[in-house]
Amino acid sequence: MATSGKLIEVQHLKKYYHKGKIKALDDVSVESYPGDVMVVIGPSGSGKSTLLRSLNLLEEPTDGSIIFEGVDITKKKVRNAKGKLVKLNLDQHRQKMGMVFQHFNLFPHMTVLDNLTLAPIQVKKMNKADAEAKAMALLDRVGLADRAGAYPIQLSGGQKQRVAIVRALCMEPDVMLFDEPTSALDPEMVGEVLDVMKELAREGMTMVVVTHEMGFAREVGNRVLFMADGKLLEQGTPEDIFVHPQHPRLQEFLAKVL
Amino acid sequence: MLSAKGFQATWKYIELFKQGLICTLSLSALTVIFGFLLALVLALCRLSDIRPFRFLATDREGHLRPQGFLLSLSRLKPLDVLATVYVEVFRATPMLVQLFIIYHIVFHGVPLPKFKLFGFIRFDRFLPGVVALALNSGAYLSEIIRAGIQSIDGGQTEAARSLGLTQMQNMRFVVLPQAVKNILPAIANEFVTIIKESSICYTIGVQEIMYAVNAIKGATFSIGEPLIVSAAVYFCLTFPTSKIIAYFERRMSRGDKR
Ligand SMILES: Nc1ncnc2c1ncn2[C@@H]1O[C@H](COP(=O)(O)OP(=O)(O)O)[C@@H](O)[C@H]1O
Ligand SMILES: [Mg+2]
Repeated sequence: MATSGKLIEVQHLKKYYHKGKIKALDDVSVESYPGDVMVVIGPSGSGKSTLLRSLNLLEEPTDGSIIFEGVDITKKKVRNAKGKLVKLNLDQHRQKMGMVFQHFNLFPHMTVLDNLTLAPIQVKKMNKADAEAKAMALLDRVGLADRAGAYPIQLSGGQKQRVAIVRALCMEPDVMLFDEPTSALDPEMVGEVLDVMKELAREGMTMVVVTHEMGFAREVGNRVLFMADGKLLEQGTPEDIFVHPQHPRLQEFLAKVL
Repeated sequence: MLSAKGFQATWKYIELFKQGLICTLSLSALTVIFGFLLALVLALCRLSDIRPFRFLATDREGHLRPQGFLLSLSRLKPLDVLATVYVEVFRATPMLVQLFIIYHIVFHGVPLPKFKLFGFIRFDRFLPGVVALALNSGAYLSEIIRAGIQSIDGGQTEAARSLGLTQMQNMRFVVLPQAVKNILPAIANEFVTIIKESSICYTIGVQEIMYAVNAIKGATFSIGEPLIVSAAVYFCLTFPTSKIIAYFERRMSRGDKR
């Protein structure tokens, strides 16, 4: 752990496409402390997903660094405890960052229970019985214990997303990343997913949430980031952002969505 | 012209057709097995992300180069290039030319053992035939496998990697089990194609079905009847095979709608 107490520190992150013609991320710096619920808002195409996906290096940044739990994960090599230069094990860091996607991305050829236990068994080398017991306990908490044997296609959208959240939680991550988790849901199912996320936040989970649910941002977020054109234009408390917005782009954006 | 007498004469040599049938089946089975293994290697080469000159992408200060020769070189995937060239060459040249090159050039002067498989198949003709057919079908099958793997939604891999699964674990537990459904019927169809195409091997003296036709023509001075019989034999071989494949294809796609 870094002595600063920061969980994630993003420094001058850049992601270019088409030889720099598209700047999906244009010099973004943010930091997050344990227990933070950071909500990212902004118009479509502003780089919110790219930022989130860069955090666990599903997207390889063009430049800049991401320091997660004291380790710069954008470097190919890191110093280990003995000070020796060793190859960075990215998979190990990814385990500690749970990710929830807009389109759930459950594994369709596996039952709910197998979806939940695959990574704990294969990656954490947990034994099957323990992994299943843990998965069932978590599944029970989101009210889906009776769906353990079902296949994803048999679930509603809201149920799928709750399973996807549990799948990430089964790895006991230190931070949860959500990329528009309710955008693909029918309106009547948004609530059940947001409730699970609120519960997680209450328990102290560190979260980074990209969402268009402004109510959630205000109520649950303790920090809100506003992005446009790959730049982080404004950040602050929900009150700063929603009550006293400074940047004209933010004022314009809020006028449209609120 | 065809005549009842001609068929009677042909019938006397039915033993040659039996031998031809055994030869054709062994030839096709071995071709599919070796072709599939080759195809798997080719497909993985084409999908691999091994870039040995990756380090050239950044300059001495660690910044990404905007463009230029070194940046292009850093993106080079030699395995992908080699496999692509292989596949394109084998798909763009006639099977007969490939067979002759393998037999007359590659195996020229190679002292193959002179024993006979099943007591009649000359190994020194059979082996070059298998090699040529396998090299050719490997090229076609690799495209089938590659397409099968690529047809799987990228979100699946992202979900797997975000859980900490390695690239190999992702292939083994998430991508391949889903891809196999698309790949298996295509491979079975390729088997049918190979049964028919293997007839070309008679030109280098492999004693498959067409070789029997030629032998009987030499003995009875009549080609019509043995040709008709050979067509019937091929039909009896391939038609049921395709029907069986179609049956399993239907059954597997039903599994999707669980
Ligand atoms: N793989 C890609 N290739 C080219 N451009 C991309 C790619 N991914 C994202 N972009 C571009 O980067 C910008 C930011 O995208 P994204 O992060 O998905 O925005 P958001 O999630 O805020 O809607 C957009 O202009 C998008 O078109
Ligand atoms: Mg997005």
